[in-house]
Amino acid sequence: MNQVDSENTNRHGREEPLTGHELRDIKDAADLYQSGSFKLQIDALLPNVRPKESGRQQLDHFLFALRAHCISIPSIAPLSPLAAMKVLAKQGVAVPSVFPLPAPDVKWKVAFEPPREICVVGSWGNGIAVKKQIGSRFSVDLSMEMPEALFQEKDYLDGRFFHKKSYYLAILAQSISTAFDVDTFYSSALGDPRLTTLVLRSRNGSASYDFSKSHTEVHVIPVLSSSSPLSPSRLFPSHSNVRVPSSSSPPNFPTPIYNNTILLSTCAKEALMSTHELKNALPAFHDAYTLLRVWANQRGYGDGELCVRGFERKGSFWAGLLRYLSLGDELVGTKSGIAKLRKPLGKGLSSYQLFKAALDFLAKHKFGETPVFTKTTNGHRCPPEEYITHHPAIFVDATSTINFLSDVPLTSLDLLSHDAKETLEQLSNPGASSDTFADCFLKSRFKISSRFDAVIRVNLSQASRNQSTSTVIEHGSSDAALLASISSLLRRGLGNRTQAIAILQPVTPYRPMSSAESPSTSIIHIGLIYDPAHAFRLVDHGPSAEDQDSNVAKEFRYLWGSRAELRRFKDGRITESVVWEVTTSDERAHIPVSIVRHLLQLHFGLSAKYARTLQTPFDNILQLPDDVRRLHRATGGCKAALIAFDGVVRSLKALDEQLPLALLNVSPISEYLRYTSTFAPLPIPASISAELPESLRFLPTIPIILEFEKSSKWPDDLKAIQKIKLAFFETIAQSLMSSNPGLKASIATGGSSNPFQGYAALEIFTAEGWSFSAFIWHDREATLLDRIIDPGKMFVSPSDQKYNAQEQREAKVAQELYTRRFIHAPRHHRAIVNLCHKYSAYSGTVRLVKRWLAAHWLLQTHVSEEAIEIICALPFVGGKQTSTESAAAVPHSKERGFSLVLEFLTDWDWKEPLCLTLYEDDPSATAPEMWTSNGPDAIAVHRLRAFAREASKALRNAETELDIKSLFLHSTDDYDIVIQLNPTVLPRYHQNINAESSVWTRDAHLGITESTPRPGFDPLPLFLADLQSTYADTLKFFADSFGGDRIGAIWLPSLGAPRPFRALAGFSSKPLAKEDKAKDKDLVMLNRQAVLDEIGRLGTGLVQKIIVHEPM
Amino acid sequence: MPVLPKRLSGFTVIPIAYPSSSHFIYARAHTPPKSKTLKSKNVLPEGRTLFLVNVPPDATEHELTLLFKDCGTVERVLFDFNSADAPEEYASDSDEEMDEAAEEFDTEARPRKKRKLQTSEPTPPKVISLPSPSLRTLRKTGSCAHLIFLDSSSLAKALSPPTSPKPWPSSEEPRGLSHYMAKYDNERPPLDTIKAHADSFMECFEFDLSKSKQEAKYRKGEAIVDEDGFTLVTRGGAYGQTLGGGVGVASKKFMLTGQIGGRKKKDKKKEKDAFYAFQKAEKQRKVILDMKNNFEADKQRIEKLKESRRFKPY
Repeated sequence: MNQVDSENTNRHGREEPLTGHELRDIKDAADLYQSGSFKLQIDALLPNVRPKESGRQQLDHFLFALRAHCISIPSIAPLSPLAAMKVLAKQGVAVPSVFPLPAPDVKWKVAFEPPREICVVGSWGNGIAVKKQIGSRFSVDLSMEMPEALFQEKDYLDGRFFHKKSYYLAILAQSISTAFDVDTFYSSALGDPRLTTLVLRSRNGSASYDFSKSHTEVHVIPVLSSSSPLSPSRLFPSHSNVRVPSSSSPPNFPTPIYNNTILLSTCAKEALMSTHELKNALPAFHDAYTLLRVWANQRGYGDGELCVRGFERKGSFWAGLLRYLSLGDELVGTKSGIAKLRKPLGKGLSSYQLFKAALDFLAKHKFGETPVFTKTTNGHRCPPEEYITHHPAIFVDATSTINFLSDVPLTSLDLLSHDAKETLEQLSNPGASSDTFADCFLKSRFKISSRFDAVIRVNLSQASRNQSTSTVIEHGSSDAALLASISSLLRRGLGNRTQAIAILQPVTPYRPMSSAESPSTSIIHIGLIYDPAHAFRLVDHGPSAEDQDSNVAKEFRYLWGSRAELRRFKDGRITESVVWEVTTSDERAHIPVSIVRHLLQLHFGLSAKYARTLQTPFDNILQLPDDVRRLHRATGGCKAALIAFDGVVRSLKALDEQLPLALLNVSPISEYLRYTSTFAPLPIPASISAELPESLRFLPTIPIILEFEKSSKWPDDLKAIQKIKLAFFETIAQSLMSSNPGLKASIATGGSSNPFQGYAALEIFTAEGWSFSAFIWHDREATLLDRIIDPGKMFVSPSDQKYNAQEQREAKVAQELYTRRFIHAPRHHRAIVNLCHKYSAYSGTVRLVKRWLAAHWLLQTHVSEEAIEIICALPFVGGKQTSTESAAAVPHSKERGFSLVLEFLTDWDWKEPLCLTLYEDDPSATAPEMWTSNGPDAIAVHRLRAFAREASKALRNAETELDIKSLFLHSTDDYDIVIQLNPTVLPRYHQNINAESSVWTRDAHLGITESTPRPGFDPLPLFLADLQSTYADTLKFFADSFGGDRIGAIWLPSLGAPRPFRALAGFSSKPLAKEDKAKDKDLVMLNRQAVLDEIGRLGTGLVQKIIVHEPM
Repeated sequence: MPVLPKRLSGFTVIPIAYPSSSHFIYARAHTPPKSKTLKSKNVLPEGRTLFLVNVPPDATEHELTLLFKDCGTVERVLFDFNSADAPEEYASDSDEEMDEAAEEFDTEARPRKKRKLQTSEPTPPKVISLPSPSLRTLRKTGSCAHLIFLDSSSLAKALSPPTSPKPWPSSEEPRGLSHYMAKYDNERPPLDTIKAHADSFMECFEFDLSKSKQEAKYRKGEAIVDEDGFTLVTRGGAYGQTLGGGVGVASKKFMLTGQIGGRKKKDKKKEKDAFYAFQKAEKQRKVILDMKNNFEADKQRIEKLKESRRFKPY
């Protein structure tokens, strides 16, 4: 229909005017949503996460049958709980056990009577179910109201209610499993046996009731009717409802979580009704709820492999959150006066606005400090103070009886806030390069390595569980008590060092009906998100010495154990404090993790073996082997290199009188001077160099640029300029050497045949063993090169010189080098230095990524180091100019940065331009192809993405089990040829990821060393460049520039087949034997073996052997 | 092993024995293109020039000379002499090109040549060149070379198919690691050599400059008049005179773009575009239509994404 319309309009040359309805839709999409396309994407997303119509009938059919069956289950006369358990055990059904177990001599009895009422409740009942992460089954909550007659007034005591409920559930389970052809399980959310439900799943191929098409499972939840004999007032948070026989705990301790859990059984129907009301009142509620759940599910607040502690089966919280936002606060009179109330949201908001409001609330609300009481109809049922004193986090629902967050640790809420903040940042910066919608709803954030600055994998199986019985009873299980204790201790110990701490555990699995207890969790992951301003603080201050005996001081000492000590500080204070001693910057970056380790060790007896991280293995990747460092006998590092650079600048400036022109500027353009070199630069003094074996001798030359004052004395001829530079260098070299004893200066002329190019450099070799190479920047060169390239620009030429094509080509090459080296390199250097100062984790990230790329044989030959530095800035800058280090999405550790860059590279569409605003000093200066003009080409990018995919998969899969080194090991199977080089002659070999120390120790014993040091000499790239230019159309070469001892190559596919002979074919060919005289043209074929022989000859002294992987 | 052809499209196949294979060089007598000027014929004399295809990339002149030693004495080898590439260039200054090819490292060849051509009285200073020891130059694989024999009888010998593969000769230029080391050392000559080189070059440059000034058509103070008799008005030197070799009077922007400055742009639109009611209506309509079009475009984009199953979050 639409098609026809548009054709008609085209014919008449006029567009059909819009109807008012359409117009409003379009306007709304733009105004009420992020943008028109955002709205469309939301519309496209929603149906995919909602239940489909298919299979509904079968499900309803089953539910009716189930109901009919359940109300006709015969009653069972009262029995003592233990006897009842035994009866059921004989039938293979366990009664979910709740702590404390009933004593053998209890007076009360358990019994069964058919449920009074059976309802579909929860999100399915309201038709707002949202697909879950795992198994993608919707859960249909079926509440079965237990008759009041089964309960007595005192059943709130000692878990009697839960025992009765468990028994009820077990009887239902036994009866249903025999009557229906379905799979039955027990499921205890959060491992809490008090929350056990019965799960029914359609069995595949079941004859009678197959509702698998509806992708649902039925959760049977026994509930309490509102008119039950249990008095709600006995269940207020402050009441103590469990009596523990042991003497270790105080006789009367409040049991807020226990009480809350009983109350949860009373309100299923009420919640259903109120959500229904809300759905009717707010037109956008359904969509907003769905968006919120999808957002939360993607971040682990729900089910999943690694879900955030406390959010399992907390569907009612999300609905409650929206209800709170639309109803507003209930008045709370506190001591400090009446708290400021939140204004309820308007009813006409769009789903997106509602979603954003929810995020806004989550991001800004401090759950640890301010309680939330949803507006009720008849005021508080329970005094709010009771909640405030007994629950750490409070979010009380509209019935004023239930606190959604009673068993959610504060750490998880911190994380929720943090995630909300991050998403809001993305939404408010829609212009960012990445796809906001996908980041928000489509991408799963389960890759913990890219989500947290540090990840600690803790094995709890050996943890000492010294929690008191009362805490275990309160939390429902020993695991829950342990996790709650870990969470609160870590939160106190880390304080403001972290923005959020995540305790992640796998979702509690369903268990067969025969097992009474939920399996315990042994492995958890603790994720930390640092606050960069405080994370690496060296000292934690406690209370001062005067109040030694106060509670605060006691708590401080309890928290830190023997680490807490009284210290006097420079300002005269004497305080309790904990000092973290570090020697290197790597160690400093580990402080937060060491705190976690210390606390786990102190309070739970978990040694480092049980709490593992990836930090140290990652650090090791960037360090040279120990014996290499010993042999070098020097301490390097970027700081030392910068000091050496300053020294050189100072001595250059001191020469002022001896130079014909004054030196204006010396600009560094090297990664060694901007903290982004993979290895810390090491100086090698000439004296030591002679003793070192060849494979340890690599000394990087650090390029710098000299800028002199302007002068009219320069000749107006490119070749002459280069010669003048030579003369300049000679003067500088002579006077430098005479003024600095120990310093050596020489001039590298560069064997280029390009007459326009300024290859010459002044090489300065300082007494401490640093090597610099200086270039002179003369801005007239650019104009002169321009004139050669484009004679049209020369209006009147001073001489009638004509330039031929060859010279123009050479000039173009020279010009490219000129702009790169003199214009862009200093600018790039400044931008990167800025980034390093602004983001503490940036330099580490770049170093890791460079190492990784080099290890996969792509760095330098295919991807320039500058391009990588720019790509690595992406997770930090994120396409926004105003981002600061405290922004939620910015990584604060190099491991996370590395993981984020890998993620980006995995789906990097290199055809799409990547826009970053790095060059802040001059935003108009864009150099799109400056650092990528020499690659990567399609093959290299393809490989790059494949490696990134592998690596991020490996990082994610094994989380922490994995050996980090395997990420950096390169498989050579897919190369056609591998050229094995002789490691003893490679000066960089010691940087190899698999460097074998025998190479340099053996060499040292033999004493084969050349006396003259050659700073910067590295034959591998020279050989590689020669191979690349010689066989550019035949082979593609790859090698590890950091100490690689192999070169891999693949035959270019275009030369695979025989082809007719041509004189200028550009490859080494061999003639083919003629088979058919009549038709054949003179065919030739690529002479592969001869090429390999040639490579061997070109690399005499370097090549050990050539391994061919492919049948010739 | 099948018998390999001895000849291929008019080329003689010369097998070269490598350690574990054979390399093949294809040879043919050089036939100069007809349209060539005399000069290029002088460079590659017909009758005694051998055209070689698929020369090993690291071959030196000496090695090729050795390879064809038994055919006769080789006068000269030219690598990658490609006359089809840029005919004009080579026609005009092939002499120079040839010398450059021969003396790879002597970048000063050009100025010296120019000077030689101009027969002048004052003896010019001599450029002391930087040391250039014999190092290999690598060329692209499968490239070609012209080999000029001293005697034309050698050509026939070279073209007769050899009976057995010849071994690849080796000259004394270093290879591989020692080549790179030698190159590294060679690129860092002693300081005094550099000084001498730079000074003498500049002397020579000054000399050339002063001489070209003397010979230049235009002198200071004289107007520049082109062939058609037009006087070029240039921006004044010191005293507003038109000077030879000065910078053009036109603005830089004009020189680069050929467009005259921005005064025109400032001209305001005289007509208001929202004066009449119909203009306003049109405008509004346009806004709405644009909106609709954008919306439709978005819709299509999302449809496409939908097809790629993008909207299944998990």
